[in-house]
Amino acid sequence: MNIDNYLDAIKNCRFCFMCRHLSAIGNVTFTEADTPRVRAAMTYGITMYPEKLANRDYIDTIYRSDLSACCRFHCVSHFDENGLNLAARADIVEAGLAPESVKAIVADLKKNEKWTGKGSGDVLYFVDSYTAETKSVAKAFDTIMKKAKIPYQTVTGGCIGKALNVLGFRKEAKEAMQKFAQVIKGSKAKIVVVSNPAAYDALVNDYKEAGIKLGVKVMHTSEYIKSLKLKFPKKAGKVYYLESDYLKNYNNNLPAPRELLAALKAEIVPFGTNNEESYTCGEGAVVLPKIDESLVEKLAKYIEARADNPKKDVIVVASPYTKLCLGKYTALNVKTLEELAAGCL
Amino acid sequence: MLVSKDSYMYEMIRTELTDILGDENVCTRDADKFGHSIDYYWIPEMWHDRGMETPKPDFVVHPGSAEEVSRVVKLANHYHIPVVPWGGGSGSQGGALPVYGGIIVDMKRMNKFLGIDKNALTVTCQTGMIARHLEWQCNKEGYSTMHLPASIACATIGGFLAHRGTGVLSTKYGKIEDMVMSLQVVTPTGEIIRTLPVPRHASGPDLTMLFLGSEGTLGIITEVTLKVHPQPEAREFRAYIFKDFHTAMSAGAELMRSRLQPCAVRLYDEEETIHHVRKVFGMELDKGAYLVFGFDGRKDIVASQMKYAREIMEKKYKGKDLGSKGGDLWWENKYKFFYPPFMFHMPQAFGTLDTVATFSNIENVYHAMKKVVNENFPQARFIGHFSHWYEWGCMLYARFIFEEKDVPKDPREAAALYNKVWDLAIRAAIANGGVINEHHGVGLKLGRLMKELYGPAMPVLEGIKKQLDPNNIMNPGKLGFKGV
Repeated sequence: MNIDNYLDAIKNCRFCFMCRHLSAIGNVTFTEADTPRVRAAMTYGITMYPEKLANRDYIDTIYRSDLSACCRFHCVSHFDENGLNLAARADIVEAGLAPESVKAIVADLKKNEKWTGKGSGDVLYFVDSYTAETKSVAKAFDTIMKKAKIPYQTVTGGCIGKALNVLGFRKEAKEAMQKFAQVIKGSKAKIVVVSNPAAYDALVNDYKEAGIKLGVKVMHTSEYIKSLKLKFPKKAGKVYYLESDYLKNYNNNLPAPRELLAALKAEIVPFGTNNEESYTCGEGAVVLPKIDESLVEKLAKYIEARADNPKKDVIVVASPYTKLCLGKYTALNVKTLEELAAGCL
Repeated sequence: MLVSKDSYMYEMIRTELTDILGDENVCTRDADKFGHSIDYYWIPEMWHDRGMETPKPDFVVHPGSAEEVSRVVKLANHYHIPVVPWGGGSGSQGGALPVYGGIIVDMKRMNKFLGIDKNALTVTCQTGMIARHLEWQCNKEGYSTMHLPASIACATIGGFLAHRGTGVLSTKYGKIEDMVMSLQVVTPTGEIIRTLPVPRHASGPDLTMLFLGSEGTLGIITEVTLKVHPQPEAREFRAYIFKDFHTAMSAGAELMRSRLQPCAVRLYDEEETIHHVRKVFGMELDKGAYLVFGFDGRKDIVASQMKYAREIMEKKYKGKDLGSKGGDLWWENKYKFFYPPFMFHMPQAFGTLDTVATFSNIENVYHAMKKVVNENFPQARFIGHFSHWYEWGCMLYARFIFEEKDVPKDPREAAALYNKVWDLAIRAAIANGGVINEHHGVGLKLGRLMKELYGPAMPVLEGIKKQLDPNNIMNPGKLGFKGV
């Protein structure tokens, strides 16, 4: 089983409470089941009694995890309960036990695949479904590129493997990665820029793990915009920055967004009470709204409740996904890094 | 009544619970029941490790207010169903285990921060708040509860209140019972009461203290007002190595008798210094006993306190100074001891035999416990440190560890061995002036020793329990009270 590759996490996390306070889903459902400790303990039971994998409550619990990886980032030994969760999902899928709702998401992802591109240049901007849905994020990126006078291509139209991977459909994910690798190859671009940190993580880490070489430099928009060394005549002013799960907890990339914010002369005010909890509405889980929309709403409300002044504060996020979720369920004034940067030009 | 899932009553009670709390807040999923069947107590962990089924609740409920708690308790009283309050589930004594099934009242939905009174320097919150979240909230406003135990990330405030917890700065700021101003409590019959608004008075016996440490047997604490403190201008630590444990203990005791008011003092015996402190700090230490202490407050006062404390350590007791760096290492790594793999873990068998005694007795308690463990269980290791210090004595955080090869494979035999260690070691502590526990509580683990500890006073406790909880629904079988 895939979970057998995570025996160290199973054995070390199953009775450990040290990251309990960072369990994003656990903090809104209040249930012990939605914590790394209990998920690891339940998974330990499966290593002893594999038939328990078929328990619908276990499957449901595994699929409603936020996958923020806050626990791994926080842990002094970085035990990977997050990876364990993904492995458990893969085992569920391989055993033919994926919930119908998850299968429907996968079917949708496949059905909607149609890669299209436009423009030309060495830079390829990947517009994932969340970036496309916000519209304003890609528009802001375009404003910045025009100011920098850099021609670029865009590509959009499908899953690059991340959502499938996160759902446990590893075979299908690899196929999607291979297709997108061909799209990139066909573009002859030298740099791929993404706004969605999940896409960044996929292209930086998942492709490598799957043995797919892209032969291009992958940059998050925060890194790329900063690298342009543009002059921003307007000051961004006082902002609250919410960390991205994929940039911070998966890639330890804390500096890039902050460096961009510094270039925008932003005064970063600490949000809420700490910088450890995940305030992303489940960015790590990629498609959480399709798995359980009510959880996303709870996560969004949890974030809103921690704002100093929900109607006035400028909340900056690194992820179009988080912007969409907060926009849908809260009164918060949310901007992505691209939008903030474009506004400072 | 012990509810059977096959019984019609199961559905009847579930319907009544959902009527009070809403469908969303009444959980009967296998995953939820499982999550509430194992806490931080070694026995259920071992039970699970060996593939045994752990006792589960029939229902897990998440009330959002004292009124909802009250209605649940009244319902449970009507049907005589066991009710077990659950905070973070990080108790090490089995105090929150649903040994008779029934209703787990998981308090974490009651997590409202109700504000800081900046005149009185108090904070009020619901008791389901995770302690770290409360501390962060206080920090944001420039204050601290100064209650900073290793379980801060997982335990709720209610959990600390229920078993009289303590944190690493207890030497100056006290245990949780020293921090409480007043409580709101739902009694076992469902009344919502408040204890007096201040902790010092001459208005009769102290009801607040009655509920602190009652481990959910006398009611459910739903709201608390605690003292808070401004963040100190300075906090400094210093560490020493002494030639042996006795010398280090003498130095620590003198520091306390000097009334210099350290915020923390911690002394590790020779065994724990060698095997644990060095491993966690990743530094070489001389043979001997490691002692660390610190002061906090105004910078000039801290400097002065530190100066006098150093004189005690260096001039009289000839401690080898590890400097402020040696002390800071402890402060920076104070929680690292509790993360895997630094914490003891399955398949080892291990337990914390914490007790407390006066400076006149504490060394005798330590040696008696060590002797009884070493003589009766030569295969076990015994280590100890002294982590909470008072004007009159200190707490011994003794631990025993059996390696996998020395733990019986049969879970019942393993449990029997485990209980035997506790019986002998705790009796040795009591015989030498100690008590059965200092800050982890009694729970399921030590209930059988309560009669020995309290003697003729135990019926007084039992009488209070009977009066408050005539149907014995609140956490039966814990704290030495009778089961179902």
